[in-house]
Amino acid sequence: MILVEALVKTFGSFRAVDGVSLDVKPGEIHGFLGPNGAGKTTTIRMIAGLLKPSSGRVSIDGHDLASEPEAAKRSLGFIPDRPFLYEKLTAAEFLRFHGGLYGLEGGPVEERTRELLALFELSGWAHELVESFSHGMKQRLVMCSAFLHRPQAVLVDEPMVGLDPRGARLIKDVFRVMSRRGVAILMSTHTLEVAEQMCDSISIIQGGRIIARGTVPELHALAGTDDPQLTPVFLKLTGGGAFQEIEL
Amino acid sequence: MTYAFPWLLLPLFWSARNRARRREPGDGLRAALFGGIGLAVAGALFAVAFWLTWQLLDYEELGDYLIRLGLGWLFLTFLSFVAFSAVVSALSTFFLSEDLRLLLPAPVPQSRLFHSRFARTVVQAGWMVVAFVLPVLLGLGLARCAPPGYYLAALVTVVPFVVIPSALGCLVTLGLVSVFPARRARDVLMLMGLLFAVALVLLVRFLRPERLLDVQSLPDVTAFFATLQSPVTPLLPSFWAGESLFAALRGQLDLLHLGALWTSAFALTVLVRAAYGRHHFSAWSKAQEARKARFTRLAFLEPLLRLLPMAPARRALLVKDLKVFLRDTTQWSQLLLLVALAFVYVYNFRVLDLDRIPYMSRIVKNAYAFVNLAMAAFVTAAVAVRFVFPAVSAEGSAFWIVRTSPVQLSTFLWSKLWTGLVPILVLAEALTIASNLLLGVDPLLRVLGAFGIACMTLALVGLACGMGAEHPRFAAENPTQVAGSYGGVAFMVLAVLYILTTVALLAWPASIYLWYEYRGLPIPLARRAAFAGVLGGVVLLSVSIFWSGMRRGVRALEALG
Repeated sequence: MILVEALVKTFGSFRAVDGVSLDVKPGEIHGFLGPNGAGKTTTIRMIAGLLKPSSGRVSIDGHDLASEPEAAKRSLGFIPDRPFLYEKLTAAEFLRFHGGLYGLEGGPVEERTRELLALFELSGWAHELVESFSHGMKQRLVMCSAFLHRPQAVLVDEPMVGLDPRGARLIKDVFRVMSRRGVAILMSTHTLEVAEQMCDSISIIQGGRIIARGTVPELHALAGTDDPQLTPVFLKLTGGGAFQEIEL
Repeated sequence: MTYAFPWLLLPLFWSARNRARRREPGDGLRAALFGGIGLAVAGALFAVAFWLTWQLLDYEELGDYLIRLGLGWLFLTFLSFVAFSAVVSALSTFFLSEDLRLLLPAPVPQSRLFHSRFARTVVQAGWMVVAFVLPVLLGLGLARCAPPGYYLAALVTVVPFVVIPSALGCLVTLGLVSVFPARRARDVLMLMGLLFAVALVLLVRFLRPERLLDVQSLPDVTAFFATLQSPVTPLLPSFWAGESLFAALRGQLDLLHLGALWTSAFALTVLVRAAYGRHHFSAWSKAQEARKARFTRLAFLEPLLRLLPMAPARRALLVKDLKVFLRDTTQWSQLLLLVALAFVYVYNFRVLDLDRIPYMSRIVKNAYAFVNLAMAAFVTAAVAVRFVFPAVSAEGSAFWIVRTSPVQLSTFLWSKLWTGLVPILVLAEALTIASNLLLGVDPLLRVLGAFGIACMTLALVGLACGMGAEHPRFAAENPTQVAGSYGGVAFMVLAVLYILTTVALLAWPASIYLWYEYRGLPIPLARRAAFAGVLGGVVLLSVSIFWSGMRRGVRALEALG
């Protein structure tokens, strides 16, 4: 569903993403992990159509992003880490506008808007300006917009940032339900617990390259650790386990 | 299938509607003030255009020639203005606008995105020109009793006239962003724009248009018009617009020039659309690539400021403020414009030939000293609202650093005050002293002027600093937005009232002094005591405005919790 082949992005002489390939199948939740500056967000931005790759190919639901951008984007729901929202629109207006971008109009989109606002516990805020929302509420509104057009693939950059435990649990449940319905989800996160609990498979990126890929047990085997947690595996694979003694 | 491109403009309309529905405190005052200023400017433009055209009716052929030349110049000026404005607007609408992060991942056809952004660029670049040009054209038409077709022709001419330079501006922006990262390109443009404005101000001033009013220089007038004629070339859209309107003014329809305007506008739009279709996404991607910004290290600043006897916290705040200011091109480059305006201001006094009025020159000079004082104070107020008022808001989302640090908020605000007060005081004193010297004002009035501007600068900077803290706009995108907020407008209203009061208070003892001085009489003791009382009153008023402004500012900051 989300197919990424040999993706490269260079900034001047710096190679931020260096030949990344991913294949997220329908119904799969794929975790995309890596230390800061590893190239996660750059990769995600290229898949979302926000950044032009230097080379390589992205296709969503069989549509090439470079040659059929509209068809590819229509199948994708994108939840960025720092979403843009029109502060002077109400939540309902924002979703109506978003629906329009995806060709949805009239009764069905109003009905869908009501459903999603209710699901994300924003019904009481439908006619309030976005500027009065807390960070978590804005994040939930962005989720509403990403799911409004019933995408076949979802791209998420740091889904749990700013959400309270109740909101985080809701998102996890929503992702699981979507996954059961055949939606492919590619999720970039630093929260290893979330990745461990939710992801069917995980790719770890470092220095712009995928350095490890597999299910959670496969990654444990690859790292050769007995620790049941994912953190030691991540640290071992990314070389972040060294601890310098400093005076604190 | 997505909606047509106007759908992409809907958030703008909805946002404007919501903003209008949910009024914030001061919106009415701001709307009344800015609306009033706008109407007054439009009225003045209309009146000047009407009066000039009316006067030129007496000169038949020469009058026609001058109207034609005037139209050509009017549109030529606006052509360059719209083109430059479009370059800046296109940078924002096509490359820097935050909502592009929402729109680009959506399945919006590129052509629709282009059309919506282009429409925004044209409106942003051209609205001010249209607002200026319409009253002028209305005045021209009414004075010449133009037929109704003229007003229709005005509309049909102005629309393509604005589209052409906007399209060219968009092309320049695309080229610029393909070479520089977008944010760097914006800085380069801002600097270019300011240098352009400075050059324009100096050029107009050094042409010395006041010579035209001098009978002795009549032979120069033909040479002057010859100079004016040279840039009005038939190859520019400004010429086509001027010609088509001049024809309409005489009841004719100039299809050639009107056709040239519309076909050029259409062709350029198609060309820009093709260029953006091909290169926008690459240029947008490139615009995101500024990994490391170049900046001025300002290594000398900290050792220099360490020489000042001040607490480390105050010094840290001062170093931070100066570095942030000097590294922001959009900030410091405005100082260039300010220096140029100050230069022109002083130059005006140099060329002001008041000695041509033999019996009145001394009185006029001394009276002018007070006009000068008021002008210098208005300049000070304008500089204070632009640079000092937004100082607290400029902390933006980083204000938590100050609030969680062991620095008293009064220390923070006083640091902001000193950073603004010292340079503004130097500027205001330099302006007042230099212009009074060039005017040849009485020595006592020079001292009074220097004293008055010092009091007013202290009060105005303190008030701006305090009111800026009382009405912060931490979410504002730039200082201009903060200066135009409710607090900024309220500051300007108070500043004008205070300046008028102070100048009136100072003018009274000055006029009495001059009365005795002209007659060579000694000033009675009671009068002297009254002078001292008034001067004391000015000091008291200024210090109390300064003090209450700062105190309210500190309290407001402390009340933020």
